[in-house]
Amino acid sequence: MDFYQIGLFCTLICVAISFIALFRERDDIHKILVVDLIETTGLVLICLVATDLAEALILPGLVVGISELLMLTELYIRKEHLPLPAYKPIRIEVMRTAPPIITFALVVYGIILSGFSGGAVAGIGLVFYFLCKGYEERFALLETISGYAWALWIVAFFIFMILPQAWLIAVMLSGGAILVKVTTKMALIGTMREGRNV
Amino acid sequence: MIRRIGKGFRIFSNWMSTYENLVAVYAALGILVALCGVLMVPMLTYHEDQIYSKTIHRDSTLDPYDRGGIPFTRAEVKAQYPANSPTVGFVTAYLTPLSWFLANSTPYLGTTIVAHPGGILDEILYNTRGLDTVVETSILFTAFAIASFLFRRRD
Amino acid sequence: MFNLPIEGEELFVLEFGDIVNYFSLYTTTLFLFATAFIIIAIIARPERQTDIVFGTDAVYIKDVNQENLRFQRFMAIACGLATLGAVSSGDLFNFSLFTALIGITNIGIVAGVNNRYVLNAAYNYGIVAMVATTFLFGGAATALGTCGTLSIWELAGLGMVPLAAKMFLVLGVMGEGMAPFYIAKAEITRAPGAPYVLMIHVSSLLIFLRVIEIILTV
Repeated sequence: MDFYQIGLFCTLICVAISFIALFRERDDIHKILVVDLIETTGLVLICLVATDLAEALILPGLVVGISELLMLTELYIRKEHLPLPAYKPIRIEVMRTAPPIITFALVVYGIILSGFSGGAVAGIGLVFYFLCKGYEERFALLETISGYAWALWIVAFFIFMILPQAWLIAVMLSGGAILVKVTTKMALIGTMREGRNV
Repeated sequence: MIRRIGKGFRIFSNWMSTYENLVAVYAALGILVALCGVLMVPMLTYHEDQIYSKTIHRDSTLDPYDRGGIPFTRAEVKAQYPANSPTVGFVTAYLTPLSWFLANSTPYLGTTIVAHPGGILDEILYNTRGLDTVVETSILFTAFAIASFLFRRRD
Repeated sequence: MFNLPIEGEELFVLEFGDIVNYFSLYTTTLFLFATAFIIIAIIARPERQTDIVFGTDAVYIKDVNQENLRFQRFMAIACGLATLGAVSSGDLFNFSLFTALIGITNIGIVAGVNNRYVLNAAYNYGIVAMVATTFLFGGAATALGTCGTLSIWELAGLGMVPLAAKMFLVLGVMGEGMAPFYIAKAEITRAPGAPYVLMIHVSSLLIFLRVIEIILTV
């Protein structure tokens, strides 16, 4: 048995064990946690191939899992008619003065990084700002921005397919689009349950 | 005897028609198939001649992701259909001015190259397998549209 | 690959880099079928349901919520487009991604109905659809590991893809295509917005037909 087979053996046993957990689980909210566990074992099956291609395929796999999780939790909240949390945010001096500086630094650093992790860094900055500074979030605006980012991505894809000479423009478009998309998505995830929808 | 079978069948069909139980049915199938997979592991041998195989140069500043080439030249990439993407390899070798500066002055750019534009992962995700990424973003978009629709709907 | 009995003759090839979509006689039939149902979803008007009060002549006409309706129509069209992608894809991983997209849009169609039982059914289906992506991606990844490629063009007719990978793929598609079971039970076919539910059945049927073609070809 080579390394691939040993890894496959262990992973498939893990898949079976996690499915046993799903088989025995009856509570709806716990099912979400178990499902997340099963998704992770699916990613391990891709990782086992250990080429650059497999590394690139993990990203779609991960994104599918995360987005379905986001949707399922929202569905659960609607299904159970769970109320919005109603409490006032705590007031600490640091939370009033620090957010603009820290958020500015994180967003600038995120833009320099660009790409997926840059979006995550900038998004964390925005989440911190929204958490501290009240939440007059512009839900529709953020959604529109991420929609434009999606369109940019499609444009970049067609540049790659039709005009391969302009690959530099396409790479820059894709990198910028993923930065904007991940930033807005993360900012929304942080604030979706609080504040009112403007 | 027939009555007993009929009663068993009724209980079974009643259980099956409760859709909360279908998750358990699918989980049972999943356990079965995973165990079948475990039994078939000796037949699953790794194919050595992979596309986009990994090459690692430990002494490079772009350590795990160094695929050769300097910016604006072509790096060697083993794509599935090189004829379909005539500029394959350019994105792999590309570095932004900032990351070019970092790569030449520090030994720490290796893992962060994934975040900058350019590099082997961008080559695969955007160029040669671009359709995968288009579908992936559409999935994210759709899931987010459903979540925000449910969030904004007044009961 | 077009000499195989199931495929029929080659009609059209669409190249996207490493992912080369193909239209054989078989997949073109599925493609046209899905296109017809997209057109139906676009032009269909939902029925106004009536409730008759027992023992009297009174009749209630139920109101159709315009916003829910527009959302369901959007999701039905998106589901149709995802089905078009899935039936014409020439790559195992791309096929599984399109199948996952079909699963998500199916949930969207069902979630447009604001009813506790329907939402409960959508949630339970969502769990199965999410779990099924493990087997979908796992099947594609196992095929990649054991054959060194994902393209159906390279794999066609060689019989290289191991049985385990095929089993994973079929089980994954089963999970994503399980939606009609939930719909039948949750009685959404009689809820407002019923024409769009048709798309769930069509997409499930088509991805089953396509995965059968794939496992017989590779």
